[in-house]
Amino acid sequence: MFSSLYAKFGFIFTAGALIASAQALHTNIDLGGKDSPIVVVHYDDGDSKVTQRGGAYLVDFHPTLTLRNSSSKRIHSVTLLVEAQENSAGGKASVSVPSLDIAPGDTFPLRINQTLFGSPSVDVQLDGVLFEDLSFYGPDKLHLQYNMTVWELEARQDRKYYKNLLEASGEKALQNAMVESQARQDALALPNVQMARGRSTTVDAGQDMQFAFLRLPDAPVELSSGQARVVENMADGPSFSVHNVSKRPLRHLEIGWILKDQYGREFLAASLPADVNLAPGQSSQVMEDASLRFHGPGAIQGMKGFISSAEFADGSYWIPTRKQLDDPELRGVVAPSPEEQRLTSIYKRKGLNALIEELKKF
Amino acid sequence: MPAVTAHIPESDLALFISGDVSMWTYVHINLHLAHCEACRERIEAYRLSRQRLKQAAAEIPEGADWDRLAAEMTANIRVGLAAGECVAPRRKLDWKPSAGYLSRTHGWKVVAAWAGITVGAAALLSAAFLLNLPASDGESLMRSLHALVQGGRSGSARLAPGIGDRGPVVEASSSGVELRVNGVVVSIPQAPTRPVAITVSAPGSASARYVDDDTGQMTISSVYVQ
Repeated sequence: MFSSLYAKFGFIFTAGALIASAQALHTNIDLGGKDSPIVVVHYDDGDSKVTQRGGAYLVDFHPTLTLRNSSSKRIHSVTLLVEAQENSAGGKASVSVPSLDIAPGDTFPLRINQTLFGSPSVDVQLDGVLFEDLSFYGPDKLHLQYNMTVWELEARQDRKYYKNLLEASGEKALQNAMVESQARQDALALPNVQMARGRSTTVDAGQDMQFAFLRLPDAPVELSSGQARVVENMADGPSFSVHNVSKRPLRHLEIGWILKDQYGREFLAASLPADVNLAPGQSSQVMEDASLRFHGPGAIQGMKGFISSAEFADGSYWIPTRKQLDDPELRGVVAPSPEEQRLTSIYKRKGLNALIEELKKF
Repeated sequence: MPAVTAHIPESDLALFISGDVSMWTYVHINLHLAHCEACRERIEAYRLSRQRLKQAAAEIPEGADWDRLAAEMTANIRVGLAAGECVAPRRKLDWKPSAGYLSRTHGWKVVAAWAGITVGAAALLSAAFLLNLPASDGESLMRSLHALVQGGRSGSARLAPGIGDRGPVVEASSSGVELRVNGVVVSIPQAPTRPVAITVSAPGSASARYVDDDTGQMTISSVYVQ
């Protein structure tokens, strides 16, 4: 009687506390119509929870979805859009998983880790699926088809490199390459940067700082006349002149923005995408209405720009080769591709044999 | 005229500065100030504080969402107060029941049982509270505890000075990425490990790459300005 009575009290106290503090989470999953290439097999809320903060809700959203490839092609990348309803504060989130290789009919997990502010009702929508033939399905509201394609092209380049290295030089060479890649990733400094849309409306004391440019051989675009208004550790309104030096019309390009602090350390601070529509030999001006703040010691001492990728009007892409990325000026600032990071992670967690088995899959 | 000897209470001084005292109190305070340098110095300190507060209010950017800021700060204050209660010194009990009294009147077994219930209930409620505490509140709680130990305000709305007045801000760092609107964090991906790469993009997005420990997949979490 003693144990059952007090056990009941304990249960009541716990239930009351949990009810008082928790709110129900409601998740709406929309992966597209009947022709969607993926379907939900299983959904698990995980340790997701909702708590009230002031007049709104804080949603710790950590579900795991098990998805099935219901198409006839292999899936290589997926992006989901995640948004809390009534998100009057603005903002949405996404989760992308590149470097997949999901055969038709196979299932795969996809985990989401987001904290959102809004209502306890969260929408999860399919934003895009990239297939092995680089075709794309989805509304692409986040304009990530370009990025997903670049990740896939980088992944192919890197897997080919490591497979060739294994065949030509053996397991030891592959192992050394993995160790070197991991060391490079560990040495890569992660900058602390903020980006806001719009430029300052006040007249700030500052100066126009010119960009230096890294010219990669066979890049289809040349950059020139780049500048931004710099005040201490903030840079406003970057602009560039771009010149199409290739023989094909260009549709889109991305510029990597490197900052140097007062100690001479350089960081890849931001990416500047631009829709250009440039005919061969044509030039244009790219201007970005944005402010970048760099949380480093002292003021910004220098800036560099380089073309990190480009898309031609015919749908083909240009990305730097591994040799170009090995340039001393880029090697210390540009992170390895998602695929290279995944492969080094496999080596680190499971060993060389697991890595070799993984490379054989492609 | 009665002699003025005792200093003016703080509450009366504050009301005197803002002109919210009765006529008799006003005369009384003025008479005291004529002979008391200490109270004159306190009056001057109050006046300077009011002036600084007015100047600070004038610097607040237009379009600040006060309702959301107020809600956020109220929530942080509640967490801070709760933390303050946890670390506040406990009053010593004035009365301690003697062991002999308890055993004579109630029996040791019953006393022990009630003590166990009280401790167990407190543990259950604390566990329920902590388990349901979101990570961001946990951070607020830690900041509050830190502030209470070091001295200073508990809880704060995290503002991005110099860039936060330009609307929503995306931020990327070794801790991950987040979106701030009017100084309030509204979206942040969480991962148990340090990101392997982070980027911000000019159209208004920030991304962090992680390797998922369970699936081994490379996962890229992003936040976007609306």
